[in-house]
Amino acid sequence: MQEFLTYGIYGTAFFLMLLGLYAALVKKNLVKIVIGLSVLDSGLHLLFVAVGYISNGTAPIFSPAVVGKNVVMVDPVPQALVLTAIVIGFGVTAVALALVVRLYRKHNTTNIDEIKNLKW
Amino acid sequence: MVISDPVYFIALPLLTAFLLPLFGKIYKPLIGIIPGLVFAFIAYISFDLYLNLVPGKPIVIQLAGWAPPWGINLVFSEFSGFVVTLITFLAFLVWVYSYNFKKVGFDNSKKYFTLLMLLVAGSIGVVLTGDIFNMFVFLEITAISSYGLTAFYKGRDSAEAAFKFLLIGSLSSTFILLAILLLYKQVGTLNMAEIAVKAQSIDPKMKSIIAILFMIGLGIEAEMFPMNGWVPDAYSQAPAPVAASFAGMLAKSGIYALVRVFYTVLEVDGIFDLLLIMGILTIIFAEFSAMRQTRLRRMLAYSSIGQMGLIMVAFSFNTKAGIFAGLFLMFNHAIIKSLLFLASGFLTYSTKQKKIRDLDGFGKIMPFTSLMFGLGAFAIVGLPPFSGFWGKLNMLVATADSNLYFVIALILLVAVVEVVYYFKVIGRLYFRQQHKEVEVHKPTWNAIAAMSVLAIVIIGVGIYPDLITDYLTKATNELFDKASYIHNVLPNLSLN
Amino acid sequence: MKKVIIIGFLGVIAYYLLSAFASVPFGADLIKGVKDFYLDKSPNDLKVANVVTSIVVNFRGFDTLGEVTVLFLASTALGSILYRRRSHDSGLNPQRTAPEASALVQTGAKVIFPFTIMLGAYIFIHGHLTPGGGFQGGAIIATGFLLMLVSYRKFFIEHNALTWIEAIAGSTFVILGLLGLVYANNHNFLENFLPAGKLNDLLSGGIIGIIYVAVGFKVGAEITGILDTLLTVKETGLDPEEN
Repeated sequence: MQEFLTYGIYGTAFFLMLLGLYAALVKKNLVKIVIGLSVLDSGLHLLFVAVGYISNGTAPIFSPAVVGKNVVMVDPVPQALVLTAIVIGFGVTAVALALVVRLYRKHNTTNIDEIKNLKW
Repeated sequence: MVISDPVYFIALPLLTAFLLPLFGKIYKPLIGIIPGLVFAFIAYISFDLYLNLVPGKPIVIQLAGWAPPWGINLVFSEFSGFVVTLITFLAFLVWVYSYNFKKVGFDNSKKYFTLLMLLVAGSIGVVLTGDIFNMFVFLEITAISSYGLTAFYKGRDSAEAAFKFLLIGSLSSTFILLAILLLYKQVGTLNMAEIAVKAQSIDPKMKSIIAILFMIGLGIEAEMFPMNGWVPDAYSQAPAPVAASFAGMLAKSGIYALVRVFYTVLEVDGIFDLLLIMGILTIIFAEFSAMRQTRLRRMLAYSSIGQMGLIMVAFSFNTKAGIFAGLFLMFNHAIIKSLLFLASGFLTYSTKQKKIRDLDGFGKIMPFTSLMFGLGAFAIVGLPPFSGFWGKLNMLVATADSNLYFVIALILLVAVVEVVYYFKVIGRLYFRQQHKEVEVHKPTWNAIAAMSVLAIVIIGVGIYPDLITDYLTKATNELFDKASYIHNVLPNLSLN
Repeated sequence: MKKVIIIGFLGVIAYYLLSAFASVPFGADLIKGVKDFYLDKSPNDLKVANVVTSIVVNFRGFDTLGEVTVLFLASTALGSILYRRRSHDSGLNPQRTAPEASALVQTGAKVIFPFTIMLGAYIFIHGHLTPGGGFQGGAIIATGFLLMLVSYRKFFIEHNALTWIEAIAGSTFVILGLLGLVYANNHNFLENFLPAGKLNDLLSGGIIGIIYVAVGFKVGAEITGILDTLLTVKETGLDPEEN
């Protein structure tokens, strides 16, 4: 069961990451590339949270029901890190989309092969 | 309350950047002046702290009152202080240059100065921090502000350069985040000093995977091959003072992060050999591409990549002589390259395509700028009596120390290549007749001032290198001495 | 051919990552690290119930400052990249190109909007007691505004007000940190200098609650500004061809 959980949950996160990486590297449409980056980020965040889990742990909040009792809590640090990472990923996606809009206005296409003005 | 506190390096530019739109509504010209005041102040603090630093006792600031490893800490040591002083000095000069740089314009100058201040704050943050996730956050701040600055001009190609930069940048930040995640799961902490202590107990296979992930991720800021596809485009499309900032601040903080991770945080067998190979590949690829360039800025960009490769090779020796040479080269690259980019800003202002052959005869109509460019070219190639000479000399000595004779041959070959393509430009500037009627944009008084200061530093250090060798030696000793870094940050640690 | 190479390359990466993670079983408790300190200090010293909040705002508050800066940067860079003319310059009104939404959507949006704002505000005010916080609450508020922007073509947001909110909220964060330099016990940046109060009280945690409220405002204003800029088409004028 432990093996299944390990490979299953990590496998899902990896699958998302690899899917996003594939889209970012192979696809020709600018918007699809940006979506690929976003999916890559999502996979990475899922991996973060999965790594922080501790068996039979509960959320790290000392609500009145939990104060004073000795309960196992999950690791709060990856959750804090992933909060920051999500916001940063959002910022980068926003800037990427703005660039896509501007590229579309100039070249009237969203195909990356036709926007290769800068060569050697 | 202390006046000179390293926290101001980051807090003040942030506060000013947040409030700049409001200042603009009150009184328009304030937008240009206030960043200058902020940069002057942090340059003053930086020099004050750095020159009064006691060797062996770096300044460690605990943020939010929690001692490391539970809180984040800033470390102002001989090495990080050196890089921070370099950055703040360059930041001030870049402000002087761009104060009324006409193409920046008044309508957009609010965004320009905001982005510039955040770029400076981000670079300083990467250098000062002692916590690895904090380093990632500041790397992202630096990256996003550079994406915005690259796409600043409204021409056709700047958006494309910025998009390419963004694509490579966000892929590499994914790698850094993955490395941080793996590292956290192994050691349970994010503080660099504590990771250094616990790093011995990590499984070596895992350590090498983490090290490779870090190298790919941090290599983009340090312009390592093959992650430097963005450099020629970004440097040539950005405004000239921004390109100078990229060379002087962005690349420096990238190489600092790389060096800090591999010298202090992780200790992995064989990583220095890999760094040597990547450095050599970077140099070869960059310098030979620079020869083929027909546009001035792209040529300077490839030359810049070559210099960064040389710095990487210097740091890969893992000897004190290597670190000393690497630091000298960092200093040279920051100052001389910035001068070259600032000069090229006015040289290419008039020419639409920025091609080199359009610069024929500019030596006569823009004498000061051409002189600055010529001085920079002589210095970077390594001719005495400029500071570049001492840098290259130290590099050759360090290479000989490590018995890597083929690297010596490579460095000399590359020096010849550099002479070829730089003197090609100088030849056109001075020895050809002007064949195109162009409208000349003379450099403004503040641009002249900024370039002169850089030139004076180059000549000064060239004639009297002892001005800085003392500080470089102290920085070398600090970087090489891992135990004292750990001890200074975590004084209560019992080594078991 | 290029696709095959890339798939092969991805396969190599996948293999290495899986082998790295095989030694990190799911749900295992790692070796003793910093988290025990946080789980101990947060309810006892800081009197904050939500440990993630205390980490984000207090222990690692500097990261949060960086994150807030990233959002501000994103919105500034967006404004710089998609240069919009000010409406008083050209006298033309910015238009949205999407077709007008149906009556069902419009009525529904008008009803849901105030509740969304209230929910977002509740989440960031109670950030230190319940799951959530400034970022989550701000994102919910921005979603409410997005709903209105998408449903109504004539729904305009005053960018001036957004700029003021962003500037004031952002500087509140930094100024609270600088005040810590002056008033707190150890004179450190971002140190808590207000009394901590009682656990699970609304006014517990000192400056943590105040910072999160400021963050909530800032995030809401910023994301709304970004969405508004992306949805509004710049008036057609000749793009200045600068070099």
